[in-house]
Amino acid sequence: MPDKGVLEGVRVLTLEQVHALPWGTGFLADLGADVIRVESPDHLQDRKAGPFPEGTPGVEWWNEAGNLVYYGTRNKRSLCMDVTNPHGKEVFLKLVEKTDIVTDNFRPGTMQRFGFDHESLSEINPRIITLSSTAYGYTGPWRRAGSRARTVDAACGLSYLTGYEGGPSMRASNNYMDHSVGNNVAYALLLALYQRSKTGKGIRVDLTMLETGVSAVGPAILEAQRGITRDRLGCAHWWKAPHNVYPARGDDRWIVIVVSSDAEWASLKEAMGQPEWAEGDKFGTALARWHNRHELDELLSEWTAQHDDLELARRLQALGIAAGSCTTARDLVGNAHLQERRYLWEFSNPQAPEVGSRIFAGRPYRDPGNPMTISKVAGLGQDNEEVLANLAGLSSEEIGGLESEGVIFGAPRPDEPRP
Amino acid sequence: MPGILSELRVLELTHRPSGAYCAKLLADQGADTIKVEPPGWGDQARHEPPFIDEVPHPDRGTSFLAFNTNKRGITLDLEQADGRELFQSLASTVDIIIESYPPGKPAELGLGYDRLSEANPGLILVSITYFGQDGPYANYQGDDLVAQAMGGYLYAVTGSASHPPMGTALQQMEITAARNGAVAVMAALLRREQSGEGTHIDVSTMEAAVSTPSGLIHPYTYTGRNPHRGGSDGNVMDGMHLPTLDGEVTLTTAGTGGRPMQAWAEFLEEPGLLDPKFGSRGGRMEYWEELYALVAPKLAQWTNLDLMRETMARGLVIGLVQTPQQVVESPHLEERGFFVEMDHARAGTLRYPGSGFFIDGENAMESTRPAPRLGEHNVEILCGELGLTVRDLGLLRAARVI
Repeated sequence: MPDKGVLEGVRVLTLEQVHALPWGTGFLADLGADVIRVESPDHLQDRKAGPFPEGTPGVEWWNEAGNLVYYGTRNKRSLCMDVTNPHGKEVFLKLVEKTDIVTDNFRPGTMQRFGFDHESLSEINPRIITLSSTAYGYTGPWRRAGSRARTVDAACGLSYLTGYEGGPSMRASNNYMDHSVGNNVAYALLLALYQRSKTGKGIRVDLTMLETGVSAVGPAILEAQRGITRDRLGCAHWWKAPHNVYPARGDDRWIVIVVSSDAEWASLKEAMGQPEWAEGDKFGTALARWHNRHELDELLSEWTAQHDDLELARRLQALGIAAGSCTTARDLVGNAHLQERRYLWEFSNPQAPEVGSRIFAGRPYRDPGNPMTISKVAGLGQDNEEVLANLAGLSSEEIGGLESEGVIFGAPRPDEPRP
Repeated sequence: MPGILSELRVLELTHRPSGAYCAKLLADQGADTIKVEPPGWGDQARHEPPFIDEVPHPDRGTSFLAFNTNKRGITLDLEQADGRELFQSLASTVDIIIESYPPGKPAELGLGYDRLSEANPGLILVSITYFGQDGPYANYQGDDLVAQAMGGYLYAVTGSASHPPMGTALQQMEITAARNGAVAVMAALLRREQSGEGTHIDVSTMEAAVSTPSGLIHPYTYTGRNPHRGGSDGNVMDGMHLPTLDGEVTLTTAGTGGRPMQAWAEFLEEPGLLDPKFGSRGGRMEYWEELYALVAPKLAQWTNLDLMRETMARGLVIGLVQTPQQVVESPHLEERGFFVEMDHARAGTLRYPGSGFFIDGENAMESTRPAPRLGEHNVEILCGELGLTVRDLGLLRAARVI
């Protein structure tokens, strides 16, 4: 087991908000990089976004949000500093000298306005890697447009292809694309570090949400060029049947069942006790099952509705059939598989003692060579002094001056509205 | 400029889109990626509809074409001793192997991590399966929908509250697992640069699904409320799809300085939006049908691209609900040079999506070769690199090893 993170010694300054970029830099923080989140006292949306314990923001609400633990400031440091103030800017540029990566997710133009564009930063530090994560990129006619993850689900083609069978298109997700983009951010940053270890040269990365989204719907992009249209099928499949979500016993309980061969169909019939309706030609072949899938789904639903989804999924899996309960968050927290794999992490944040211990989703892969845990979650401005003294080389008088001038903050301004 | 990973060699031995896409991510950055397929049938994705020109053919499946760019391809039957031996020879020359067998199966074939890393201590082995290498579900069967269901995504994220759960299209859990795997590989490579040691990475598609929505585990443990699907139901200003002249759009209340209805009333020239009952989010949800009746006819006067241009100019934030066709023809992506064109012997010339990032202004996506035909590089790799004679190759073919 390695005794230090693989990215120990790598420093990241990140001007980040919302979800995609913090999720991406979160991987680097988990891998041991010193990720310093430079937060503005004027934009505390992420710290207001919650969730808050029992839905109620406490006295120190700015350190309580669950999202901070999950990706916002986990394993990161927080420097709450107004970089639009000339003194703040000066400090930021001093930090850049000792930094490997600067990331932002402002709209194109903002970093340049701050004087933090790649060209300016590489004059200070020629080895600097910069990554701007934007909706549409630094070039092209849409470069000035803002976005939300859901507007990118739309623009990349994913939402158009998503919907109930025969129904209208439907938003794929509120924030799936944030995760997908965050993963791509982490990948691109690690690629850049790898490249720089070979060349020693700085790198500028222009990463976009739209293009990450389009790269995830490649098959449909190829089809469109040859006039092939992809029907919305809900949970149904191009060639498998049964392949859908079926009602289970209880309120809003569901089970997914997937059959991909005659042998699996025979096993499913056996599990159902060989009902009469399942015999005969109507469902006897893959082709027949697919063409008669609506009737098949209805008949199968009558059977599944009598059963507990978790129990039935176990039974079907024991027969080699791909089946799964449609789990809720509550189910997952108690899920034996995830527990045995130590996927779920329990954490109590010393910066927000009132919140107590809570359970979080872990990181979605295991590598014994690069283990990941939560060691800290930065409170707002928690690391101001340490960063400014040790990295920027400021005296305690200078730090005090920044505080009294309103450049750095250890808490929201007194008149900041509560979430 | 050669791709960032051009000094690396990858062996892909996968049976699912997650593994193929993970290897593609590396191949698209220049890694010499060899896809190993079973002789005769090849990767199942070769046989999944739809097909280019709608003619079923193992080289024309669109998923296969999309997920296997920049790879070379060979066939090997690992159930046969010759196949395993050749695989081991190749395995000792590569940096990374990506596999998706059921847990335990590689060891059974004598191709487990312990065995392979003995011959190649720096080897990074990625096992990418639906449920991971251990735990009670390790040997469960899965597919993307099962992963969406068991990972909590299906229940909570996409569909409508008044309907059964409904998933996101196009195997996004497979893609997410693949992206997780690529991050893990890069971290392992950087570790190997320091220590010289390889590793065995365990990626689970179910866990990719659990990790994906920000609002699943901790929102529940913080509030006791189970996240539930239906976030776009009746949500005219922040989630529904609304018709335009030539497509659909989804609006947001972002960029309006906290006065969304004023901003949209002005933009759409629809004073009805100023009715106080639409002033709060709750009110907009309660009277969504009236709101829809005001907004939809106004939007229907705009074409998508005009609407995008004019809202952008005013700082409003919208999302065009683009069809794949509109994406392919996007003037924005065209100007950026996002797509890369490659010519495939059977599928013809197609434009493939890039990687989603540009490095120093250059599209980071390699365009060395389109997806390999089945066994396309058998001679090149087995004879050219492993030193088999053409005669041996014939023998192996007759014995159905290749």
